[in-house]
Amino acid sequence: MRPYEMTLAAAAGAIRRRELSPVELVDSVLDRIERIQPRLTAYATVTAERARRAARDAERAITEGRPHGPLHGVPMGLKDLIDVAGIPTTASSRVRAGHRAQTDSAVAARLSEAGAVLVGKTHTHEFAYGLTTPQTRNAWDAGRVAGGSSGGSAVAVAAGAATFALGTDTGGSIRVPAALNGIVGLKPTYGLVPRRGVTSLAWSLDHVGPLARTVEDTALVLDALVGPGGGGPAGPDSPSAPPEELTGLRVGVPRTYYFDRVAPQVEAAVRRAIGRLADLGARLVDVDIPMTRYVQAVQWGLMVPEATAYHEHTLRTVPDLYGADVRILLEAGALMSAGDYLRAQRARTLMRREWAVLFEKADVIAAPSVPVTAVKAGQETVTWADGTEEGVADAYVRLSAPANITGVPALSLPVGRDRAGMPIGMQLLARPLAEALLLRVGRAYERTQPAPEVASAS
Amino acid sequence: MQSLSFKEAEVSAPDLTPHEAARWADRHGLPLPAHRHAPVAATARHIHSVVAVLRELDLGDVPPTAGHRAHLTEEERLDAAV
Repeated sequence: MRPYEMTLAAAAGAIRRRELSPVELVDSVLDRIERIQPRLTAYATVTAERARRAARDAERAITEGRPHGPLHGVPMGLKDLIDVAGIPTTASSRVRAGHRAQTDSAVAARLSEAGAVLVGKTHTHEFAYGLTTPQTRNAWDAGRVAGGSSGGSAVAVAAGAATFALGTDTGGSIRVPAALNGIVGLKPTYGLVPRRGVTSLAWSLDHVGPLARTVEDTALVLDALVGPGGGGPAGPDSPSAPPEELTGLRVGVPRTYYFDRVAPQVEAAVRRAIGRLADLGARLVDVDIPMTRYVQAVQWGLMVPEATAYHEHTLRTVPDLYGADVRILLEAGALMSAGDYLRAQRARTLMRREWAVLFEKADVIAAPSVPVTAVKAGQETVTWADGTEEGVADAYVRLSAPANITGVPALSLPVGRDRAGMPIGMQLLARPLAEALLLRVGRAYERTQPAPEVASAS
Repeated sequence: MQSLSFKEAEVSAPDLTPHEAARWADRHGLPLPAHRHAPVAATARHIHSVVAVLRELDLGDVPPTAGHRAHLTEEERLDAAV
């Protein structure tokens, strides 16, 4: 196995045992980036020299016997909304031409402190306002969409061009590309991972979180982000603790919403995976998802005016520098009233209350991450069995939005392929701050499956 | 207050015209060039058709989620800028 193919846990183990040096690992991943970048365009900026320097420093620290954790010397990509001092944060937008971040974002600082090595900034759908990341291609089929908006992060991890990455998630932007590229993505509880120094799409819905090839790796990154005593799932209940059996765990299987208008192959794979959770001892309970009629309205009612407010200045001064799809949404957002926004905020309060009741009946809810696998690049709509047509972006957001609105943590993990060979993702949701539980359930499932493969980038 | 309520209803109306879109955008400090009036009006109508369903809800005295905090969070003290 070449170093770029190793999971974070495997690479960390090899580095700890001095079987692999950070320089070898980082060089291997940088070579891999060179190979995949022309075809997949996962990166907006590659920081090769900086990465090689950091790898040498990491190696020296190990040689000198200085203590290090599992991320020490491990190559990572950061979505290009996340500030790293001295490097542009382009947001994959011409609006940001000439930008250079003055200081590290909180997450970049924490990962740097943990010894992770930045290999580059990954592409996003412009300013995270979209679900496809059109400049980037799917790691398993370059003719299909990467998903978004953290498309570059997901493709880089899936293709072995980063051992792990960070993304942001406002309406599924970590979970959607993770699902479409066959990797793991975690949207943590709202507010758990600090957003300081990360470009916003919509403040009240934005989350920062990890993408990796396994649940185990995802837990290691979350540990580094949240930190000991950070108010999150650290200590003896750490998400990287060994998974326990699932006996007695109540897994909620939605009777409504999450399996409506879902591709049959996606539904079959997710239900098979839920069956595996039952085999592991979980008790399956039927649940009804509350207020489903209002999910899209609340998501839009919050996101659209918040995004327009964030871009207020540049929308006036340099509107032509935005891509057409983003500009029109930002402009139209200026026509939403304060009444519409407040109604969405108040409906969100109701929804959060109802979801709290839901989590009295189930410890974890299991559902598809997205209703359809990666569509062909340029495809704009999905036609469902009932004859209805849905925009691709609307379809990809649909099953993600409830966790953004309510702030509950949600984990997407791969559970199979469709007949075209495209990955299928399952989403696990739990009550606020139950990341440790989510990761334990995901890890328990993962251990029943073959080890993940790096995409061949064909 | 009466006139404000009336105008909110007007701007949210599903039959928002390009002219009205331009006028309201301008009023919100975003002057739109003429070629943007029709597409912005069409997109605003679509957004409105999605969010209008919230008017069905009886929200009583339910407060908005965004709550007041006495202490500034880390994000509130310092955030990234466009």
